[in-house]
Amino acid sequence: MKRLLLLLLVVWALIGTPPSAQAQDANLDDQTYHIAKQLNCPTCAGRNLADCPTQTCAQWKAEIRSQLERGKSADEVIAFFEARFGPTVRQEPPREGATAILWAAPLGAAVVFLAIAAWVLGQRTARSASAQPPAALANDPYAARLEQEVRESA
Amino acid sequence: MSNRKKLLFSLGAVAVILAVGAVFAVALSLVSQQGARPKPGSPAPDFALMLFDGYTAGFPRTLQLSDLRGKVVVINFWASWCEECYKEAAALEQAWRRYRERDVVFIGVDYLDTEAPALSYLQQFDITYPNGLDVQQRIARTYRITGVPETFFVDRNGIVREVVIATLDERKLHSVIERLLAQP
Repeated sequence: MKRLLLLLLVVWALIGTPPSAQAQDANLDDQTYHIAKQLNCPTCAGRNLADCPTQTCAQWKAEIRSQLERGKSADEVIAFFEARFGPTVRQEPPREGATAILWAAPLGAAVVFLAIAAWVLGQRTARSASAQPPAALANDPYAARLEQEVRESA
Repeated sequence: MSNRKKLLFSLGAVAVILAVGAVFAVALSLVSQQGARPKPGSPAPDFALMLFDGYTAGFPRTLQLSDLRGKVVVINFWASWCEECYKEAAALEQAWRRYRERDVVFIGVDYLDTEAPALSYLQQFDITYPNGLDVQQRIARTYRITGVPETFFVDRNGIVREVVIATLDERKLHSVIERLLAQP
């Protein structure tokens, strides 16, 4: 019996961490990665935390993981980093204050573009419509003959 | 390219220019919010630093620079991820221990760091002078640091006398501090 127990312990040690713990670890890794993707590396401009190999980012990722292990939600973790390092820590700038312009600018530019395009095309359509001969002139045989002669001479 | 296509292309270009202009306007407004780096001869901008537990060195938990008027102050920006900071840490601690009785105060401002590795760094070098995390990089932005380590030496009248954007050694620390102590 003792041998069997010993054998079981050895097998257990060889297998290592139980599958449920491994799944939990993988889940934590995924969550850490997902959060890190939403944060900026503090030292490399424009690079996200998840893809940055610097020591700073390694420390920050460890901090994210540690907070998740303590039961914090993704929003709480991001809020922690924002409170400590400022709003620029987020990959996406906040949609308020001065940075709201960054979000509104493309939409505003598209609206301006469409408005000007509609106005200019409307003007051109109106101009070409006014350049058409009146209906009475279109039925005039003299005008039709004149037009034909002009076409032939060209 | 037909006239209509040319027109649409031009309008598209105008829209892109407007969008880029807006981005530049935001960037300029953000840059203009920052002041200039305090140069030698200019007053050291005041700040409050919340000190780490166990790293107050007898000062209040929130250390106010202006409360240190009359003392020589060495403000050192550092981070636990900064390799160069490791090279100067021991020299800073030695200088603090040597000069603390002569009205010299060292302040460690921890930049873009998280608490656990920061505290581990402080323990590694047995650092005892006041240290705290620069929340939201307010102090770093005020002093316009460009990286770490950076050190500002402030005289008894609250004037910045020397800025060192490099790793410090004992010789440099002693020479600057002695010079500032010799001033009235």
